[in-house]
Amino acid sequence: MTNESDIRRLRVYRYKRGDGGEHFDEFDVPVGPHSTVLDALRWVQLHRDRSLALRHSCCHASCGTCGVQVDGHEELACVSSVQDHGKEITVEPLANLPVLTDLVVEMSGFFARFPHEHPIIRESQPAPDVEHGDAMQAHHAEVLLHHNHRAAPPGADFMRLEDCIECGLCLSACPVASTSQEYVGPAALAAAERLLEEPRGVKREDVLAWASRPEGVWRCHVGFECTEACPTDAIPAERIMALRRELTFGGDKDKESKR
Amino acid sequence: MSEPAANELPGTAERSLPGPIHHKGPGPAEAGWLEPRRRGHGGRALALHRVTGVVILFYLYLHLGVLSMLLIGRSAWSSFLSLVTAKGFLAFEAVLIAAVAYHGLNGIRVALVGSGIAVRRERVMLWTALALAIAVGVFAALHILGAL
Amino acid sequence: MLRRHDARVLIVGGGATGAGLAHDLALRGLRVTLVERGELTSGTTGRHHGLLHSGARYAVGDREAGIECIRESTILKRIAPGSFECNDGLFVAACEEDLEYLDPLLEGCTGAGIPVEQLTPRDALRLEPNLNPELMAAVRVPDATVDPMRLVLRFCASARHNGADIRPYMEVTELLGQGGLVSGAAVRDRVTGQTGKIHADLVVNASGPWSGQVAAMAGTSVPMTPSPGVLLALKGRFCNMVINRMHKSGDGDIVVPQRGLSIVGTSSWVIEDPDDLTVPEDHVERMYTEGSKLIPALRHAARRAAWSAARPLVGSAGAGSGRELSRTFQTFDHRDRDGVDGFVTITGGKSTTLRGMAELCADVVCRKLGIDEPCRTADTVLLPHTAFYSAAAA
Repeated sequence: MTNESDIRRLRVYRYKRGDGGEHFDEFDVPVGPHSTVLDALRWVQLHRDRSLALRHSCCHASCGTCGVQVDGHEELACVSSVQDHGKEITVEPLANLPVLTDLVVEMSGFFARFPHEHPIIRESQPAPDVEHGDAMQAHHAEVLLHHNHRAAPPGADFMRLEDCIECGLCLSACPVASTSQEYVGPAALAAAERLLEEPRGVKREDVLAWASRPEGVWRCHVGFECTEACPTDAIPAERIMALRRELTFGGDKDKESKR
Repeated sequence: MSEPAANELPGTAERSLPGPIHHKGPGPAEAGWLEPRRRGHGGRALALHRVTGVVILFYLYLHLGVLSMLLIGRSAWSSFLSLVTAKGFLAFEAVLIAAVAYHGLNGIRVALVGSGIAVRRERVMLWTALALAIAVGVFAALHILGAL
Repeated sequence: MLRRHDARVLIVGGGATGAGLAHDLALRGLRVTLVERGELTSGTTGRHHGLLHSGARYAVGDREAGIECIRESTILKRIAPGSFECNDGLFVAACEEDLEYLDPLLEGCTGAGIPVEQLTPRDALRLEPNLNPELMAAVRVPDATVDPMRLVLRFCASARHNGADIRPYMEVTELLGQGGLVSGAAVRDRVTGQTGKIHADLVVNASGPWSGQVAAMAGTSVPMTPSPGVLLALKGRFCNMVINRMHKSGDGDIVVPQRGLSIVGTSSWVIEDPDDLTVPEDHVERMYTEGSKLIPALRHAARRAAWSAARPLVGSAGAGSGRELSRTFQTFDHRDRDGVDGFVTITGGKSTTLRGMAELCADVVCRKLGIDEPCRTADTVLLPHTAFYSAAAA
């Protein structure tokens, strides 16, 4: 599947605990028209350096494990096409999380930021509801209309997995997260907003109290880097703004009845 | 685990050590937000907002410092005038006016969007703020030059 | 901390099989260590489309597999609540020829105890507006969709919570032992680069399509053939239910929704080395062609990803496409097969039956170690996948 004449130079970040040294290794990798950064990294692992540690699982942007920085931009390696990059490609681990080894970051800190309740199944298929008049809902509806091709008639009773695949790209891209290890970050806040949208047994006041802590929603500086980096439709920035709107203007029962 | 394993797996202790945390951008960790090459429009807007904020703050102190010179007397006033009519200072003022315009307009954008209002139009608002700030800056520059 | 026994078991392989077994054995109170050379589920498990089989796909050709699936999928829904999109599935007849499969399908499902309901094409289209409007028949079955990695992580979370040492990024380089007895493994830790030895009373080879390679480290063999297939993820969620083609297993006979994507699968061929996976473009094209017979809009949907995954099929090499081999699983005690004790291989199977596979293998493990503990996994609700990161490591 690889083209012998298309060779790319991969600069890969290396770090092994215990010997402490952080450095870059360079590898010349043959690639093909459909090769992904993950394909290139696995080629290195199989044919050049078996000690290279990589995270990957699904190969189709659904598990969220293969997040890396490619030339400084957050991407999922499994869907990052080599053809979209140049002759030299730099691959580094995600930012703002501790590096375990090579391109693998420790995810325990990522998950520790989430609100305690973290369901991954939506009870309802979001039906586009453009008459609601709510800008965030309308934006969300727009996204869904485009992607879901009206797969469910409004009000149909289908379940679905939450959009967020817990990849950490948003946390890595967030400019605030790079100055504050306490900030809970976009993914956690988006998950909290989903709990407002669809409580599934969680109390609204608890979610709002959790979100309005100093290291919560008010730390966001409206950078929108998170939605930019997000590989799915989780739209963290829009959800953070919706949370902030709830905290600023919402909380009264009239608003509830309009939904 | 308190119970010692009959064979401690290699690397066990190292796995629980804190690892290095990368911040985007060169320099010290706290400067991560400043690196423009690795950011999209929103991150750059934020960086510019902080930079203009620092510039405005610097100007505030400068302004207060300069005004305090007036307390000293007539000679201070003359040296003050020669300072503020210098070309360099006038150029800085044009930049400052653009900075105030950007910081104020983007500030309105951040306040609105950050309260969940007009979220879908945040990008349009940013370009508007930038365009207006540049226009104001250019207008100010021309006006200052015209007055020379 | 549930450990009641001193017996140490080393599991090689952190996919569905290894994780299911680690959970089962940890619940029975054994000392479990699981090593996986990459991220958990980075072998075959993570790559599958996420179908939780109702068993209908096997009800006609392989009734035993059909019965296994409906039993295990029901158990999984009970022990892992909140992990599944329980939206059911449809078998859709896209042409006249498919109609011949309708009665065998209905009878096969009924015979295997799989709830089945025939729908009119109009009802099917009302449920799934993007289906081929020319469809001729539709049957509803209790298929479901799952995130394969996160489901397995739940087993690992519970195992870890019960004292198992789950160790990703640790590669087995050799099996240790002499005189026909395996006593452990030599490992290389990819986090530090250090090497070491793990001693165990029993080593279980749960390395999926790599089981042949691991078995060879002990001078043994397993009748397992790696059989890859291509999968194609397209942008757009074109269905909420799993859409199956109403004919016998063939290429591109299924579309599974995965969040905002639609996964079309799969194809089948056989290989020697599971690390040498290619993605033949003609297979990708076949996915587009066959998939659009079920959902026409797929023809023009943008490609998110195309990849291959190697199924570990039980049966000897020499098979043709791999589809003839059964997808059931087996545990091999190498003392009986190869005269090597202390070493057991579990291979074959599919994600849906991971718990059942683990139960049978754990029974063999306990019998060999002289431990009398019943399996408790069918009634133990699993921890959420996030607990894997916060559960105390052993």
